[in-house]
Amino acid sequence: MKAALKKFIFAELIYHEAPDRFGEDDDLLEAGLDSMGIMRLIMFAEKEFGVTLPDTEIEPDNVRSLNALEKWIQQARSA
Amino acid sequence: MLLEPFMRQCRCRPEAPALRENGLRLSYGELLARSQFIAAALQGLGFMPGQRVAIHLDRGVQAVAAVFGVLLAGGCYVPLDLKNPPARLAFIIKDAEVSTVLGLGADPDWLEGVAWLDVERLPSKEFATVEVRSTDLAVILYTSGSTGCPKGVALSHGAVAAFAEWAADLLGLAGGEPIASSAPFFFDLSTFDLYSVLGRGACLHFVPSGLTLSPSRLSAWLQEQAIAGWYTVPTLLAFLAYKGNLAQTPLADLRFLIFAGEVFPSPALVDLAESLSATRLYNFFGPTETNVCCHWPVDRQCLDPSQAIPIGWPAAGCELHVHEENGELWVRGPGLASGYWSGGRLQEILNREGWYPTGDRVSRNERGEYLFHGRLGRMLKCSGYRVEPAEIEAALHALPGVKGCVVVGLNDPTAGQRPALVLALEPGLDLGEVRQFLQRRLPAYMQPCRWQLVEELPRLPNGKTDYQAINSLLEVS
Repeated sequence: MKAALKKFIFAELIYHEAPDRFGEDDDLLEAGLDSMGIMRLIMFAEKEFGVTLPDTEIEPDNVRSLNALEKWIQQARSA
Repeated sequence: MLLEPFMRQCRCRPEAPALRENGLRLSYGELLARSQFIAAALQGLGFMPGQRVAIHLDRGVQAVAAVFGVLLAGGCYVPLDLKNPPARLAFIIKDAEVSTVLGLGADPDWLEGVAWLDVERLPSKEFATVEVRSTDLAVILYTSGSTGCPKGVALSHGAVAAFAEWAADLLGLAGGEPIASSAPFFFDLSTFDLYSVLGRGACLHFVPSGLTLSPSRLSAWLQEQAIAGWYTVPTLLAFLAYKGNLAQTPLADLRFLIFAGEVFPSPALVDLAESLSATRLYNFFGPTETNVCCHWPVDRQCLDPSQAIPIGWPAAGCELHVHEENGELWVRGPGLASGYWSGGRLQEILNREGWYPTGDRVSRNERGEYLFHGRLGRMLKCSGYRVEPAEIEAALHALPGVKGCVVVGLNDPTAGQRPALVLALEPGLDLGEVRQFLQRRLPAYMQPCRWQLVEELPRLPNGKTDYQAINSLLEVS
């Protein structure tokens, strides 16, 4: 899941970071992920992983890093 | 002159709330006092009417007082995008020939040879009233330039006032109404917040910046603040419609929403119109040079997820003309920019016939409404920002070892367009260095989303760039 998220983020949402040097806990918001990026990321994740991410859980902390994202999506999946 | 309606509010209802930012509240009287304090400090330093002052502050209470202070002193403000790389900011400061920069704290390293004033540490001076004429410049908004450098669109007091008064009438803004504000002051959207809203005695509520990342918190905030209106970009509204928890947050006080800056994807607009069935929706359209020249009050009967919405009807006293040959939209009217600021004078933007040719391709439908079909030239619209491919190319050409490069736009379902790059490098220069170089020169929204290296740039037999070949290179990559 993390690999798919990373691939999507660096192909579609953030262009000015070198993905190979980007760690799983590095800050995506600081790297330029903005509201439009988060919206597209959620659309992608819901379709790709067959999950509904609840409106009230869309928070900066849940999308801040690749690890946070994966944890959040997995929780939503098992809920 | 642009501030006259605001001054009238200050005289009639000085106690009325003008600004709210987090816990901070400012009345009309307090805002005027703070603005005059800044104007007086500028005057104390020998500031002359007509000079330009850059605003190095994020949107908010301090920035409003700084902008109004400059205008009260008879100056023209140049709002900066603090996210721009220092090299670009330094260029703008130099190009606009600003006398002073208003900011917070110590002056930044990149600033050279221009006075820096910390708005929280200003000397107390006596304010002297200055008369301004409607033709005096009020603001220079910098945007991407087709000649390779940022370009300053200079707007007069009269031009901004023409839009502000028209919009205030259209929306029927009333005293005391809470209006949300999220537009940075370097975007022309902010002229509605600053001059329509504060000219009519309504109250600006600054949207806390973190909320744009969390649509359900944003809708909760709009509800709690009893927001009556908001002029913003489609992206935020689409996010709100998609994940804003609107079923539980009905936003009963929200009378109107205005959006501009990019095309609103119709499926998302249909969702928004359904979720907020009692809110009037408006599509505003126009390049910075015209501020707003077209508007479409959204007609819910005509919304179709598979069709783009019209840009509608002439706005703000503009006359529109569709050029017979290429369908280009021509505009004239009271809201037009005075010109491009260039080397201390204004460069004409009107054509020989006295119209401003927008470079936008339009047509009219059977109801007579104008429809937008894209750009004639190379300009791209990326997440609401204007991006001239020539500015990215010029930045790259400044790097030794770049043999050649071409930037084109790739269509994107949400961002509108994104810049993509094909480039040829001399041996010894690697792509990583080029990326780093460009990051220091250009803002994030101008960074290419695709980098395609080639040995030689594809050219037509006559030596010109082969754009068809460029596009196919990017499509297959």
